[in-house]
Amino acid sequence: MAGPGALQVIVTSELLAFRNRALKRNPARLAAIGIILLFGAVVIGGGTFTVGATAGHFLTFAVDPLLAAAFTGLSLLMLVIGFPTVIASFFVGRDLLQLVVAPVRGRDIFVARLAIATSANLLISGILVAGVLGVGAGAGAPPVYYVLAALLIALQIVVMTCLQVILMTLILRWVPARLARDVAAGVAGLTGAALYVGWNLSLRQTFGRRGQADISNLTSLAQHIDWLPTAWPGHALTAAVEGSPAAALVWTLATVVLAVLLMATAELLYERTLLSGLGTFGGAAMVWRRRSERPVTPSRATGAGSPTIAIARKDWLGFRRDVRRLTRLLPALLLPLGYAAALSQPSRSLSGFWSNVALVTFLSMFMSSALASPSVPSERRGFQLLRMAPLTMWQLLRAKVFIALPPVVATMLVFSIAVAMTGKSGVPQSLELIVFGLWLAVGFVSISVSGGAIDPRFDVTDDRKAVGLVGTLAAIGGSLAFAVFSVGALAGFTFGAEAATGTANLGPIPSTPATGAMMILGGVLLIVAGVVLTAVLLWIANARLNSFEATIAST
Amino acid sequence: MTTAQGGTSAAVEARQLVKRYGVVTAVDGVSFLATRGEIFGFLGANGAGKTTTLRMLCGLLRPTSGMALIDGIDIQADPLAAKARLGYLDEEPFVHPHLTGREFLNFVADLYRMPRGQQREQRMARLLSLFDLAQKDGELIGGYSHGMRQKIGLASLLIREPSVLLLDEPTNGLDPRSARLVKDLLEELAARGTTVLLSTHILEVAQALCRRIAIIDRGHIVAIGTMDELRVQAGSEAANLEDLFLKLTAGPESREMIERLLES
Repeated sequence: MAGPGALQVIVTSELLAFRNRALKRNPARLAAIGIILLFGAVVIGGGTFTVGATAGHFLTFAVDPLLAAAFTGLSLLMLVIGFPTVIASFFVGRDLLQLVVAPVRGRDIFVARLAIATSANLLISGILVAGVLGVGAGAGAPPVYYVLAALLIALQIVVMTCLQVILMTLILRWVPARLARDVAAGVAGLTGAALYVGWNLSLRQTFGRRGQADISNLTSLAQHIDWLPTAWPGHALTAAVEGSPAAALVWTLATVVLAVLLMATAELLYERTLLSGLGTFGGAAMVWRRRSERPVTPSRATGAGSPTIAIARKDWLGFRRDVRRLTRLLPALLLPLGYAAALSQPSRSLSGFWSNVALVTFLSMFMSSALASPSVPSERRGFQLLRMAPLTMWQLLRAKVFIALPPVVATMLVFSIAVAMTGKSGVPQSLELIVFGLWLAVGFVSISVSGGAIDPRFDVTDDRKAVGLVGTLAAIGGSLAFAVFSVGALAGFTFGAEAATGTANLGPIPSTPATGAMMILGGVLLIVAGVVLTAVLLWIANARLNSFEATIAST
Repeated sequence: MTTAQGGTSAAVEARQLVKRYGVVTAVDGVSFLATRGEIFGFLGANGAGKTTTLRMLCGLLRPTSGMALIDGIDIQADPLAAKARLGYLDEEPFVHPHLTGREFLNFVADLYRMPRGQQREQRMARLLSLFDLAQKDGELIGGYSHGMRQKIGLASLLIREPSVLLLDEPTNGLDPRSARLVKDLLEELAARGTTVLLSTHILEVAQALCRRIAIIDRGHIVAIGTMDELRVQAGSEAANLEDLFLKLTAGPESREMIERLLES
């Protein structure tokens, strides 16, 4: 009797591996993840459903552009966010080597990996499902709408996954193998960043003071993209809502044909490129090679070596040379700058100073999170080297804060000076903003480094996954609390000083010297709270690093 | 052998080391002592507890109970002082792929606060030349072969001249010439007073280099001593180390199993 087919064997083994990974996790952590996912599903899914239902009910003329935009927007999101999963499933992993040397057809590998790779896109499509169901419910769509929606969303996931495979195979053919993954990550990241910035700028025009708070910009944008294949499922669903079965059938068939064509192309290209992908990704982590053997210049430095400076220098060299980290970080850094640029337009309801305070806070927090959080886990196996050295974990944490601080401070200073100058703030307010930014940078960087050290995942090669759930929550929660304390303290000092001179406008609260003193005292207490919070997180991080005992796999 | 500090004159001492992971006991009451200038062999099958013991000795793992002493210093009580005296080379060396060989050696030297200057540069150049890495010292370690990583790992230990070396499979992945170089080097270092604790699967290496050998099986030391003492403990007077090892760790049963498998 013949055994199970190769496809079944591969998929079963993947499911077993997933089950084993899940069972290996701490049950409390699993429960926490489940609760967070459930909460997210209820809030985000429920919110999207409500928005969809409202739009479907009240904006019947805009159903088609809305559905087309939803499918297109989510497709682009899948393209960006799901890319790493697709690369990992189709081209990375030593387990693929085993499949290649075994008597398994390339087609079987492709189909099995397609089933696995769709997981990330499936998760993202949850938002689309909620929105599409909401539109259907709001517009009073017939039952066939929901059946068609399920089919079209599934097809869209397959289409996007196949498109990612095609893109990756083309990159592997044209780009030198050692740069392939980084080019792919860079392209996907820049696409996402551009979309985000474009979306922000579009929102500013739509909802800004000089524009009307309507959706004309959105619908006009959607009308420009309705020829895109990603919009076809939207047209099919609109036809179903409007009771036009023929049109619905045509658009659905077009989507099916597209999916089949893309799947066949992806399978063909994948079979031809699989081995070069494995050559690129199956081995050691990619690093820049030095182009030439430059003559080594002996160091002229004298005196005893400093562990702190040594770690900082090592991190700097590693960061500069690790293209993968750079390509992931640079697009991410575009987001806050784009966001800041979009929001620092003239129309503001807040006074310029407090708007700038909010932007400096956001920018500092984002930069610290991107740069400082993974700094301890990014040591990877090298962490064992540090543990064996005569060096305390306090020294390690200090070194990590030192290396993450300069870029955060530099970006923040440039930004503070720029917004102070464009906003024509006075010198005292500009100085106040710069000092505040420095304070925030030190606090956020320390908290983010602590978060990474509290729950490091040294085995992970991707910085975005290098901090576990507990560490991420500690870093985000700590940063938010620190931001509240800091802005509160600044408000206490600023309004307190004005109240002391009797010039503050505090609404029902009298502007007296006593009120001013109370507010300044409150500011001092909030500063103390911020310092205590940071110290406690650093202390926990130090204790966690000292007690770290796990083996770190070779990555 | 007790010193004024309360420790012993032994360079490495394991005192009733125990390591438990939940219900699993990986190391169960391991005790031994290596004296200054000795090459001490540490043998055991896969999963016997060798690496766990070495990691407790170098401070990477905290023992569930017992003590690990380096030059008489309890590594848990005074980790910085103990770590400054020892060097540990893992089976898969801890290196940074984005540093060049020379940068990595400088990094390690700085971690251990070695004085910078001409002396350090000269020592680094000698080590790189000794391990045939001088031509590759400007290349990133990420591009090194396994053997080259092993050699740069060894060089990073030797650059700072620790008094105790804990080596887990140091000849793993080395070509015959480099393996011979490492063996000669270890003998030379021992002659100069460095204590070497050597964990290896290559029994010929252990027999040739080690004055005394400990055999660990399922977390317990089952035999310890010179070759002659091991023969007495195993009751096989003319046996070589491989026979002794198999006898002490129930090896003949495996042979029977292989024969039965081949017969079937």
